[in-house]
Amino acid sequence: MSGSAYASSLEIASGVVLVCAVVTLWRRSLSAIVKALAVQGVALGVVALILGVGKHDGVLIAVACLVIAAKGVVIPALLGRVVAGDPASREAAPIVNVPASLVGAGALTFLAYGATGSVVALIPTTAGRLIPLGFATMLIGYFAMAVRRKAVSQIVGLLLVDNGIALVAFLATAGVPLLVELGASLDVLLAVVVLRVLAAQMWSKFGVLDLDEMRELHD
Amino acid sequence: MSNLSLVITAIAGLSAAIAGCALPAKTRVQAAVAFTWGACIAALVGALAVLHTGHAMVLNSSRILPLTGVTMVLDPLGAVFVVITAVVAIASTLYWLGYASHGLSTRTASAALPIFVTSMLLVPAAGSVATFLWLWELMALSSLLLVLVDQRRREETRSAAQWYAVMTHAGASAILFALVMLSAHAGNQTFAAIRIHAVHLPAAVRNTAFLLALVGFGSKAGAVPLHVWLPKAHPEAPSPASALMSGAMVNLGIYGIVLVGDRLLGGGPAWWWLTVTAVGVVSALFGALHAATSTDLKRLLAYSTADNMGLVLIGIGASGLFATTGHPAIAAIAMVSALLLTVNHAAFKGSLFLSAGSVQVATGSRDLDRLGGLMRRMPITGVVFLVGGLAIAALPPLNGFVGEWLLFQSLLHGLPTSSTAVAIAVPVGVAALALTGGLTAAAFVKAIGVGFLGRPRSEGAATAHEVPRTMQLGAALLAGACVVLGVVPMIVLPALERAAAEVVPGAPAHSLRASVELRLAGLQGVLAPALLAAGLALAFVAVIAMRRLAQRRSHLRVALRRVEPWGCGRELQTARMQYTATSFAEPLQQVFDDVLRPDRDLDVSHLAESRYYTEKIAYRTSIGDVIEHNVYRPMIGAVNVWGQWARGLQNGSVHRYLAYGLVVLVVVLAVIV
Repeated sequence: MSGSAYASSLEIASGVVLVCAVVTLWRRSLSAIVKALAVQGVALGVVALILGVGKHDGVLIAVACLVIAAKGVVIPALLGRVVAGDPASREAAPIVNVPASLVGAGALTFLAYGATGSVVALIPTTAGRLIPLGFATMLIGYFAMAVRRKAVSQIVGLLLVDNGIALVAFLATAGVPLLVELGASLDVLLAVVVLRVLAAQMWSKFGVLDLDEMRELHD
Repeated sequence: MSNLSLVITAIAGLSAAIAGCALPAKTRVQAAVAFTWGACIAALVGALAVLHTGHAMVLNSSRILPLTGVTMVLDPLGAVFVVITAVVAIASTLYWLGYASHGLSTRTASAALPIFVTSMLLVPAAGSVATFLWLWELMALSSLLLVLVDQRRREETRSAAQWYAVMTHAGASAILFALVMLSAHAGNQTFAAIRIHAVHLPAAVRNTAFLLALVGFGSKAGAVPLHVWLPKAHPEAPSPASALMSGAMVNLGIYGIVLVGDRLLGGGPAWWWLTVTAVGVVSALFGALHAATSTDLKRLLAYSTADNMGLVLIGIGASGLFATTGHPAIAAIAMVSALLLTVNHAAFKGSLFLSAGSVQVATGSRDLDRLGGLMRRMPITGVVFLVGGLAIAALPPLNGFVGEWLLFQSLLHGLPTSSTAVAIAVPVGVAALALTGGLTAAAFVKAIGVGFLGRPRSEGAATAHEVPRTMQLGAALLAGACVVLGVVPMIVLPALERAAAEVVPGAPAHSLRASVELRLAGLQGVLAPALLAAGLALAFVAVIAMRRLAQRRSHLRVALRRVEPWGCGRELQTARMQYTATSFAEPLQQVFDDVLRPDRDLDVSHLAESRYYTEKIAYRTSIGDVIEHNVYRPMIGAVNVWGQWARGLQNGSVHRYLAYGLVVLVVVLAVIV
């Protein structure tokens, strides 16, 4: 792979990760949000794959396959089943409306670029330049958790945070050890499974997956 | 010096706790008591050896506590406190054998009591900051458990325990700051290293450390205004635990003040000791006043603990003051008097709390207004309480007298010698001592007169029976100590002298010559307690003999007639016509109205026909704690308001919590940028 092709493909894949994060804020339909998450998972895996191929690192390629399988296929499939069980699967009235959320995402991206300036200066590679994208993805994920009402949207927010962190890790360290990535992925998988079970419980008990409806429980 | 006794103490104490925890209910208490005695006797032997030889006992181990290890150094000063604790603990656990069936035989209580005793035995032997704080905290937590023993049956217990927990932990954190600050400056956490470095510390550090220690240890000693937990926790704790808390635990507050002020920092400016004296004066007066007006027997005793600790603090303050103004001989005598007052207080307050517990067990009440006539029904408990009461009122030939005599001597002879500060502080101290003595006497005349003499005021008091032998014996042991210490104080004075000489720099080796007579070096005072006791006994016998003689003579002339006393024309004499504790204290309450601020409630209802005739009069009076009411309640109120406000931050919405996290993250990032 030539240098420019390597750089531009890495830029595109990382860009897709951030764009997918913004898409989850833009779309209201939960099934669309889960699809965006799947695309993001695949893009994250592709980032790892490009880095692995670029550095001829077999372990990193294995990690990339693992990421694509877990974040691009298994987790979105699990979430898709939750969404399929809920007929009113739309984020009808988020706490912050869609245009404002998009403006917020823009502001968070600016903040990410500002805050990671010193880190970027330390890593003078193509990968290093892209670190703010991972950071922005993480902040947007956090933002999504804070402003979305549906349980599924919140899980997606959490996964965005995780994906953002993973992207920063890939770009900054050029390869997370397999063991660490395995551990992190399993953690996330477990969290999703637990949340899925909880969501199913909520559904059967209350007939909604809207967290605001649960306010009554806190006393 | 062999450190075997410390090791045996720790192991026996631990075994006692395990036995109390693991054994079945029947044998639990006996086994725990036996092992606790083992711990007490081992500690007693070790401490007596230290006091005899004057060489400290040292134990170092890096294996027991992680990171810091354990350093134990038992010097003569600490040994005095170990002996006090051991004796009070032996008596209290003996009492516990009989008391166990009254709610002190649960697993928790049987494990907490030995731990409490053992930690108190080891606190004065701690030789480093970490060891001290560990043991101190262990002592606080185990005593908290003991206060909570009755919490299922009594609602007040929980609130008392809460007060105690807050006060003791606030105190512990002050101590923590003081000691950690000192050890940080010394670069080493052993007391020996701190002592060497203390000379080079900046004045600000020394002052802060001393004041923090005074607050922390003062709250444990029940010094006013940090005494609020005392009249709540002592009455609610089961009686063996109250005897231990009042007879042994509060002393360790005194030990701490001497440890930090004199031993670690090596004395300080006059204002330190003036502060200590002032706190002592206020505690003594406030405690005595409340003791004189309390009607709850154990609350009375608890306030009297504050009063006695005040006296001890006056002695310590005076000692420090004389030492800074260059009178080490008088300073040593003042320190001996403070230590003797501590020893005495442990003896009489222990016996008083134990016999008050017997009264509570026998009558089901500790309200003096519902007692009466117990001297006839419970003669041994009555005599024990009488001895304790006379001792605390500082009447010869009992031990309270010797202690207060020594304190008076040191204060009076310090008077013409030195600076303005001393010239002002000392007369005030003397006046406070005198007033305190009077008030204490009134309090115990009330307790004995109303509680034990006269006729019973309730069904419980009328049907009371003497408590089991072990309980009588436990209380009598300490009452016996009061008599022995009063008649032959020489058996403890050399030891106290040795401890005082260690604390006061430049003190003469023998500040008082104690044989049959007690002579003070450099002062005029002479006291021969044994002769005094013999004289009093002789006078007593003479009075009785003369009375007999006179009776026999009069018997020849007129036959002796026994009649009902004149009841103002009423035919029927009832128990309600007697003085009650409330009515006895009423004149005092009137005099000190501004300090006590009692709540009075008088309800007069008239007959419908005429307002000249009353149907009934209801009179209610209660005396709260002014300091609690005016200082602590507003403080608690402020904390509550703050808590309510903070509650608005969390309304149970997940989104709000997530938003908090996001906002904090964004703000932090923005700050970094």
